Amino acid sequence: MSSSQPLLELENVVKHFPVRGGILNRVVSRVHAVNGVTLSVARGETLGIVGESGCGKSTLGKCIVQLHRATSGAVRYEGTDLTQLGHGELMPFRRKLQMIFQDPYSSLNPRQTVGALLAEVIRFHSIVPRAEESLFIDELIQKVGLRPESRDKYPHEFSGGQRQRIGIARALAVKPDFLVADEPVSALDVSIQAQVLNLLMDLRDELGLTLIFISHDLKVVEHFCDRVAVLYLGHVVEELSSDELHATARHPYTRALLGANPINDPTERRELAVLEGDVPSPYDPPPGCPFTTRCPLVEDVCHTAMPPLVDHGGGARVACYAVDAPSEVRPAREAGASSAG
Amino acid sequence: MQERTPILEVRNLSTSFRTDRGVVTAVDDVSFDLFRGETLGIVGESGCGKTVTSKSILRLLPEHLSFHSPESRVMFEGRNLAKLSERQMRSVRGDRIAMIFQEPMTSLNPVFKIGWQLDEALRYHTDLDRSARRRRAEEMLDLVEMPNAKERLDEYPHQLSGGMRQRVMIAMALCCEPDILIADEPTTALDVTIQAQILRLMENLKRELDTAIILITHDLGVVAQVADRVLVMYAGRVIEEGTVFDLFRAPRHPYTKALLDSIPRAGNRRRGQRLATIPGIVPNLFELPAGCRFQDRCLHVEERCRTEEPAHLAHGDETHPARCHFPLDHA
Amino acid sequence: MWRRILGSRGVSKFRRDKFALVSLAVIVVYLGAAIAVALGAISRDETFARVGPNSLVGFFETPTVEQRIAYTDFYIDQVRTAGERGDDALRALDVYGLEPRFSEAEAALAVVEPLFERFEAVAIASEGDDGLDAAGLARLSEVEREARTLWVEPSGWQGTKRALSLQLGTDRQGRSILLRALYSIKVAAQIGLVAALFSVVIGTALGGAAAYFGGVVDHAIVWLYSTFSAIPYIVLLMVLASMFLGSPVENTLIPVYVAFCMTFWIGPCRVIRGEVMKLRELEYVQAATTLGFGRMRILLRHVLPNTLHLMFINFSLLFIGAIKAEVILSFLGLGVKDQPSWGVMIKEAGQEVIGGFFWQIGAATFFMFVLVLAFNVLSDALQDAFDPKHVG
Repeated sequence: MSSSQPLLELENVVKHFPVRGGILNRVVSRVHAVNGVTLSVARGETLGIVGESGCGKSTLGKCIVQLHRATSGAVRYEGTDLTQLGHGELMPFRRKLQMIFQDPYSSLNPRQTVGALLAEVIRFHSIVPRAEESLFIDELIQKVGLRPESRDKYPHEFSGGQRQRIGIARALAVKPDFLVADEPVSALDVSIQAQVLNLLMDLRDELGLTLIFISHDLKVVEHFCDRVAVLYLGHVVEELSSDELHATARHPYTRALLGANPINDPTERRELAVLEGDVPSPYDPPPGCPFTTRCPLVEDVCHTAMPPLVDHGGGARVACYAVDAPSEVRPAREAGASSAG
Repeated sequence: MQERTPILEVRNLSTSFRTDRGVVTAVDDVSFDLFRGETLGIVGESGCGKTVTSKSILRLLPEHLSFHSPESRVMFEGRNLAKLSERQMRSVRGDRIAMIFQEPMTSLNPVFKIGWQLDEALRYHTDLDRSARRRRAEEMLDLVEMPNAKERLDEYPHQLSGGMRQRVMIAMALCCEPDILIADEPTTALDVTIQAQILRLMENLKRELDTAIILITHDLGVVAQVADRVLVMYAGRVIEEGTVFDLFRAPRHPYTKALLDSIPRAGNRRRGQRLATIPGIVPNLFELPAGCRFQDRCLHVEERCRTEEPAHLAHGDETHPARCHFPLDHA
Repeated sequence: MWRRILGSRGVSKFRRDKFALVSLAVIVVYLGAAIAVALGAISRDETFARVGPNSLVGFFETPTVEQRIAYTDFYIDQVRTAGERGDDALRALDVYGLEPRFSEAEAALAVVEPLFERFEAVAIASEGDDGLDAAGLARLSEVEREARTLWVEPSGWQGTKRALSLQLGTDRQGRSILLRALYSIKVAAQIGLVAALFSVVIGTALGGAAAYFGGVVDHAIVWLYSTFSAIPYIVLLMVLASMFLGSPVENTLIPVYVAFCMTFWIGPCRVIRGEVMKLRELEYVQAATTLGFGRMRILLRHVLPNTLHLMFINFSLLFIGAIKAEVILSFLGLGVKDQPSWGVMIKEAGQEVIGGFFWQIGAATFFMFVLVLAFNVLSDALQDAFDPKHVG
């Protein structure tokens, strides 16, 4: 995977939000939402981005589709740095990069019927000639698994899962190559989650889409994605293939996430791995590695500087001083596996 | 477990709402027992009636909009809670049966200090004096493993994180040592690592205080982790009931089975493998079909399911009844 | 479209609310009256025309002897004075359709003079310490009846119109209170409509722009409305209205419109700004951005249409607000001029009230009260029926 030319490359992307205050409305502090993320996604690949609330995963997704403009760093799509483009120059890329949103209730304009919503997008970008528009809309509606008569209905007439399908249809209307799905199933019931995930999988295979899938749910990401990047307070702390997530995860935070997830089987009931404390505030992150406040393996060196992402082979990268160097990867793998139990 | 007498007996509980479109029955003929020291999980998707069930027990629903059927009985210590006066009910709520809610952000009053809010509960339900109440409040925060309990008493809710607020809620719920704790989606709004903390806390408290817990959740993982027995609800009905082991190992109702199958399994992945889904959506409570409420989504539906609603039957196993004409056989 | 709206849950809930339906009917009647007046059913001149004696009481009050004498004096005196001036004056005499029976002055005076002497005798007798005895009252009734025979009642439509115009009595200049109160409906509706419409449009445009574009635009607009709202509202209204004193448009409604729009836009501006701030963070707006839509397109097509319900609520609040504010301004002499309005009527009724005559102030207040009440009930009901939080 890493050998092919990446479709999307993030290089040291930083996003800080200024916090204004006082009577002069000056910038009094900054929220460090994304702190230097470097990632790449190959064509046809699905990258999962996992983390807890406030880790910057949504902000990162919005920096990729240029809903937020990164404070610094580069977002390269097929070699073009999107952060340097103006509104007009971005237009061709708007068609290629699309986003699916989390909340099925606020992500659709309540005053547009499904047909009107899709027609607006299609006309704006002249996706198909006017004569074929109606046919194309029917195709889209059918592709996301809605009934043809949905065309003339308003969003409030649909259930949450159906609305999410409409959101997917809207993203697909511009025939994109690349999708950022920001928690697309988190707001849905379990049985509906599976329907939407299946739809996304089918569309991915049918249309050859490249995806970034943002979620807090490790189980869903593991099932859906090829690779997983784990975010903690705006830093990528680990990146690895999801095939053997449980076996190869090395970073103590990833291990804690895996351990804290209840298993769907009472016979495998275990003491949940409990991390003490809370995620530190992104207004005032601790110096060094942000995980020091909760890390069971913390050492003195951790407080001095953020550990670099070290390549551990097989596409795995870990940012932790306490994890063994790549030369000792093999034994470390077994050690990791045994501590999972 | 079966020899003991239940601490709470719910029988034929039905709760209906008056709406613009007529009367709708959100909880329909629900019966179950709760024993001391056990955790009963109630699972189901949104709109299945699990939250209404818990609120009906404590009568927290607006009285001008909702009503119980006359057969509804909620027996607690020999009294039928469904028939108590509002005044009598107040001495049960909080003191004997406590409840914690999903949203820790909005269940605490933002203008009062944590200590004041704990103190208020103690003042209402106990006759301790001021300093004793303060000590008790501090003990409670210690009990819920709140770091720096003493200082926290003088902080406001906005100074605490979501997980800590949920701890305060639990402390408030437990400060009168209730017999029953109803937890309505207590971890849904929390991150997994914080969820793990709260679940562990609830386990420890159950062990220490011998409290009976009703845990309402949509998350089967949470149920598998902490519940002893489980009720599965669908469209206002209990459709399956059993010990957590029976239910997860050998679900009898096709809905339970489908629900379990639709969750991606951790550490057991094949890329591109489709998840098992339940087709369609939950029926509208205003337009319930004749017969089984799951018929339109069931893979095993037969003619009888469309005409006759199945009873909640044991099918030979008294501890594991299911509301299905053709329960799945795992023998 | 219409079928969908009429069949919706909100409408069916609304239709079950009896008070709301009555209010709606009341408002429709008012609107009908306003339109009829605007189309010329009652002309401005008619509201200034004499329709009868001064301070005539309305339909259910029995006039006192003193009032009866005053009214009879009017009917005799009009003919007598015109007759003394000659044939032309007599022929020109017309009290809102009521004409003297005579076309020649000589004939008229021959009848009127003796009647006038008898009337004087009764009038003088009534001013005595004991007032009129039974015989005196009988004489008064007779004089009254004969005074009316000096006149020819108009027939047909004009007769009806005249009879109606006297139902609520007359003011101190003999003008019909009913006609003036009815004409005021048009003035009120006109002021309410224009003031509310422009205020909502201005407020929405500014509020939407402030919230959506943010930065300097937001600061400027917030500064503007903070400054305006720091000045007491009545003072601001008075200052704005008095700015036009002496200008060519002084006697039109334009000063009133300007004063209201400049004070009223603040309310909708605030509300719409808040709502747009909320809406612009919603995911469908973000989705529109990722689709490459421009900012004006998003603002006009995706954001502002979703504030429509707030525009309606603000419109109805301001409509009533303008009607009430008009009363205050007119009372202070800064509002409506050269035509009647409820405010003008209440102002003019000031002197009458001291004299114990309540028909003018009563009519103006009642007409306004019913409209305001109906509007309030209706807007509450509409909110209940259509607020998404209540529909559930």
